[in-house]
Amino acid sequence: MDRTLTNFIRSLRMAEVRISPAETLDAMHTVELVGYKDRTMLKDSLALVLPKTADEKETFNTCFDEFFSFEDVSGERAENAAQDGEASEDGDPAGDGGEGGGSGGERQPGQPAAGNRKKKSKRKKPNNNLLEEEEEDLGPGEMTQPSSELAKLLMTNSKVELTMAMANAGEAVNVRDIQIFTQKGLYARRIMDEMGLADLNQEISNLRESGPVPARRLGQELKRRRDWLREQVRDYVERQFLLNADVSGKKLREELLRTVKLSNVEHRNFRLIQEIVFKMAKKLITMHSRRKKVFKRGMLNVPRTLRHNMSYDGNIFDLHWKSVKIDRPKVFAICDVSGSVANYARFMLMFLYSLDEVMPKVRSFAFSSDLAEVTELFNRNKIEDAIAKVLRDYSGGSTDYGQALLDFKKQCMDDVDNRTTIIILGDARNNYGETHAEVLKEMYDKSKRVIWLNPESRNSWNTGDSEMRKYGAYSHQVDECNSLMHLERVVGNLLRQVS
Amino acid sequence: MANIERIAESVDSLKQHFEEHRYICSDQIATAVYLAFHLRKPILIEGPPGVGKTELAKTTSEMFALPLIRLQCYEGLDEAKAIYEWKYGKQLLYTQVLKEALDEVLAGAKGFAQSVQRLHEFGDIFFSEEFLEPRPLLKALREDDGCVLLIDEIDKADHEFESLLLEILSDFQISIPEIGTVKASKEPPMVFLTSNNTREISDALKRRCLHLYIPFPDVDLEQRIIHARVPEVSEELRRQLVQFIHELRDLDLKKVPAISETIDWARTLLLLHTETLEPQLVKDTLNVILKFQEDIENVESELNSITAKIRKA
Repeated sequence: MDRTLTNFIRSLRMAEVRISPAETLDAMHTVELVGYKDRTMLKDSLALVLPKTADEKETFNTCFDEFFSFEDVSGERAENAAQDGEASEDGDPAGDGGEGGGSGGERQPGQPAAGNRKKKSKRKKPNNNLLEEEEEDLGPGEMTQPSSELAKLLMTNSKVELTMAMANAGEAVNVRDIQIFTQKGLYARRIMDEMGLADLNQEISNLRESGPVPARRLGQELKRRRDWLREQVRDYVERQFLLNADVSGKKLREELLRTVKLSNVEHRNFRLIQEIVFKMAKKLITMHSRRKKVFKRGMLNVPRTLRHNMSYDGNIFDLHWKSVKIDRPKVFAICDVSGSVANYARFMLMFLYSLDEVMPKVRSFAFSSDLAEVTELFNRNKIEDAIAKVLRDYSGGSTDYGQALLDFKKQCMDDVDNRTTIIILGDARNNYGETHAEVLKEMYDKSKRVIWLNPESRNSWNTGDSEMRKYGAYSHQVDECNSLMHLERVVGNLLRQVS
Repeated sequence: MANIERIAESVDSLKQHFEEHRYICSDQIATAVYLAFHLRKPILIEGPPGVGKTELAKTTSEMFALPLIRLQCYEGLDEAKAIYEWKYGKQLLYTQVLKEALDEVLAGAKGFAQSVQRLHEFGDIFFSEEFLEPRPLLKALREDDGCVLLIDEIDKADHEFESLLLEILSDFQISIPEIGTVKASKEPPMVFLTSNNTREISDALKRRCLHLYIPFPDVDLEQRIIHARVPEVSEELRRQLVQFIHELRDLDLKKVPAISETIDWARTLLLLHTETLEPQLVKDTLNVILKFQEDIENVESELNSITAKIRKA
């Protein structure tokens, strides 16, 4: 039973709910306490132990419904099959199974079943002629003992053991690696083979051709159960596909989006990108928020200690230590928002403002020809709205880096000090205008770091009207930055340098 | 103790007892308390303000008839305020008063080393239990029959404070350098932590807790809550006012009204002897449920359509 739980936790992890081993243990204790009987109770309980944010709870709910629905259905089917076995009247349930098996993509084992069904239905019309001879003739009664492993298992009628065998076989053929839906038939086939389908088929055909009635009866029964099993396996593979591949498909897409050029991202993927940005930002936040305060212990702060112990008559009870608090980065982001670079600016701003827990002091400026501060916009609006507004209001006009730098000097050169990091995002294509690199030099001298991020690839720098050489000289760091990966690296470095 | 176990024997019984104490809860909440009791784990409660996070802890202590020990978190909270502190004043006073006694002890001692030796014989009197001022966390561990410990608004405290809590949350013990490790007595406390989500709680803390998210209740549940809290309100008015609040929650507001505001409003309407929601009356009492002028102005413009819709329903 614990296996069910660990499998469930595995699928939760696939769906990006973070679950530690300690929480797995908690979940096991919980299950011991509440049991598997009451479904809602189990769901409520596990929802308390495993997911730890509101988002994760939603993921948990869908995962739970998907994962634990299978058990119910198979339970019913097992019962049906058992009943059919007892009644032994009509062969229709088995026929259904055969049809399903055939369309499931397993040709070889599927075909005989389907063919058989055709035969049956044909013969059913002329007053159940041959069918009666085959089925009714045998009727209920003694059967010989099955010989192959799988046949024995099928005849024990134990759903649990069958499910276990199925899961083991699935494990053996690595069904969890299933990636795309066309593989479903293949995996179902492999699982059946692993469970010993060949032996079973051999046994069935032997039995059916043999003389004694009990043996033939067993052959019939085994065939019915084989078809039922096939359906079960198909369901099992389907479930594994939903649990494993669906999400890893998304993962694959995310991996791809991380490295793709931001200007090539299609509009429909914006939402996903945004999610990735927030996820990356969160990772950086957890990595760096702990380092906000670094206390250097071991040095007594004598003046403070004396001052605090005055009330104790100068007896030193309460010791105070020297501490060093390292400042959070003060970041100025200057973004070119003209047409060609707008998309990069969008994601960089999104990234910077998602980090406000560790970088509360971001001031941002946008320009195409004239530069304006847009910090206020971001403080008042949601990130997405603010970005849309910035792009709407400032993206017109031809790019003029010289003018933008002059504007920056006029507006806030005084605020730049030796703790400031200035990030400039732009392709440095100045339309052959005046570069005013001397302003950048001034910024370079006054600030802690100037980082120039250029979305163009290095090969095209300094070609045409690109002034990268002039500007690059007055930057501490020049980087190519056109994918989320680059962006993450740059911001990660930024945080590391200050703490 | 037997009583507590009887109450906590099943989720349904817990739910029923909560209702007797006028706290109407969903299955999830009752399950959380059930698990917390049986697995001996703290509960971390998150959710929008005013959905009854703190109230849950209070009601639990009332229901189990256990003392409630509350630690309100704020920025700068440290171990001196949360765990223990030495009674400096008392220590100082005693040294002054006992000066002569000390002289006697030291009488005849030759040299510094010998004096210190004599003092050592008396042990660390000044750093013993008598001079220890227990703060909420230590107090909770020392309650013999168990208690309910409420650590309120943990998100307001610093990151460092969370780490401080880890020991008490997982092992129900606290290490005090001068005295040693204090372990919880027979019955460990039931711990409730609440958070308004102003910042992410660290994974280490979350890992040690059950995580309960209390959302705004649905119409049905909220009506029952109002019924339990303000039973005097007529059924029709109750339906209308809960409906109204739910309409507001769908609007784009700075701060949507929570359950506590619904209860306040119900009391207000009761005081004004109203039977139905008239637009004019709602307009006059909007300041009970909405806390921003901007929100009030927004809602006022749509007031007529909302009240009409509700009265039709």
